[in-house]
Amino acid sequence: MKRVLLACLLACQLSFAFAGQDAVDDPWLVLQKAARAARELSYKGVFVYQAGPNAKAVQITHMNYGQGEYAHVVVLDGSPREALSQGSDVVIFSPRNEKVIIEKRHGKNLFPALLPANMDVIKLCYQARIGGQERIGGRDGQVVFLNPRDRYRYGYKFWADREYGLLLKSVTINARNEPMEQMAFNQLTLLNTQNMDWFHPDVDPDKDYIMEETAPTDSTLAVDDWTVSQLPAGFRKIDQVTRMVPGKSAPVTHLVFSDGLAAVSLFIEPLSKGMRPKTGHTTMGATNFYAAIVDGHQIMVVGEVPETTVSQIASAVSFKK
Amino acid sequence: MKDQISALMDDELALESSEYVFTAAKADGELSECWATYHLIGDAMRGNPVFKLDFKQRLMQELESEPTVLAPRTKKPFIKTPALWSIAASVAAVLFVSWMVLQQQVETGNDIAPVEIAQNLPSEYLLAHQALAPTNSAYYIQPVGYSESGN
Repeated sequence: MKRVLLACLLACQLSFAFAGQDAVDDPWLVLQKAARAARELSYKGVFVYQAGPNAKAVQITHMNYGQGEYAHVVVLDGSPREALSQGSDVVIFSPRNEKVIIEKRHGKNLFPALLPANMDVIKLCYQARIGGQERIGGRDGQVVFLNPRDRYRYGYKFWADREYGLLLKSVTINARNEPMEQMAFNQLTLLNTQNMDWFHPDVDPDKDYIMEETAPTDSTLAVDDWTVSQLPAGFRKIDQVTRMVPGKSAPVTHLVFSDGLAAVSLFIEPLSKGMRPKTGHTTMGATNFYAAIVDGHQIMVVGEVPETTVSQIASAVSFKK
Repeated sequence: MKDQISALMDDELALESSEYVFTAAKADGELSECWATYHLIGDAMRGNPVFKLDFKQRLMQELESEPTVLAPRTKKPFIKTPALWSIAASVAAVLFVSWMVLQQQVETGNDIAPVEIAQNLPSEYLLAHQALAPTNSAYYIQPVGYSESGN
């Protein structure tokens, strides 16, 4: 009982501290507060994710009482996927026919924790501007615009809770000012319990649970006969793996680039016999794809960035002769 | 000022000052009314019946009473518009050139004809991207078609 009371007090203090700061004038302070709030507060809510014709309601329970972050995410519409995360480790349960596939992933920057803890990275690529005040899901929100400094990334419009700091809504906007992707809370409440009963998947006893095998990363596979030069401004390499993929005779190298908000994947693999090369460009919602063939290698770029960015990253790859 | 308008209408005003009078007549409500009235007087004196005061209303009425032709204009085929043909020709030319360029790229790459990803979404790459890239709120909200295609 004492601990619960303490937690209540702490939660109250936290929200007062957040409310007390008069950070409304500086858009970066609002965003900084939103980034912290999404990771430090304990909350439960339902938000709707929307991209093109797809819309899904998602329930999120997030808890952090100083022992790290715990979250449970359940997709309420359609196929009942759910994810449990502890820190940056995510376990996803997705039913597929008579089975349930369990996947392990590294998850970061998931709504409402979209913003990175370190704002300096995104300050280089985006300009922030404070907007008006709008009500979202019964909460008072402060609008902040994040406009790209160049044409290599999308813009964002954020609504941050004026009391808790948490992001209430986020819209990704392209150069023609069209919304590409949107997430918005319908309802949001702060939790002040330390009860962890909710932290388990909704197990269906009639189905088989299968752990998805991810091929181990093997550094000896990496034959770095390529170089990536002249990336679009602000993008840095944040990950690189080389692994064997089922059905392919040669290893595939997967690189991830990010500017702090948007992420792009670059795949490089040698073209082998019987493999149909891919070329061209296509789009699915906010995601752009670009495929090219360079010196007998298949280059594929996939990312939530404009077409210019994927094509430039593809053309930045060159091979040592 | 009214004298100047009269002079302008009678083509008796110097070219330098006529622009100023024109602008003034357009900007000033009273002067533009004056301009219209003088023209009306002129028309009446010349016995031109069209330019009566209610000319605009009558014109609109005439337009209203005009029957709307809903039938397609089959008698005027679009061949008569040469601009359209030239646009079509340039589009065809661009398509041909880009097709040629694509064909050449293919020949340098591989013997097998490549797949246009616009026709066949590379979902295996999308799944791999979503598994590793951190900024992706969509990764747990995949459309059914993509999670199933991974089977």
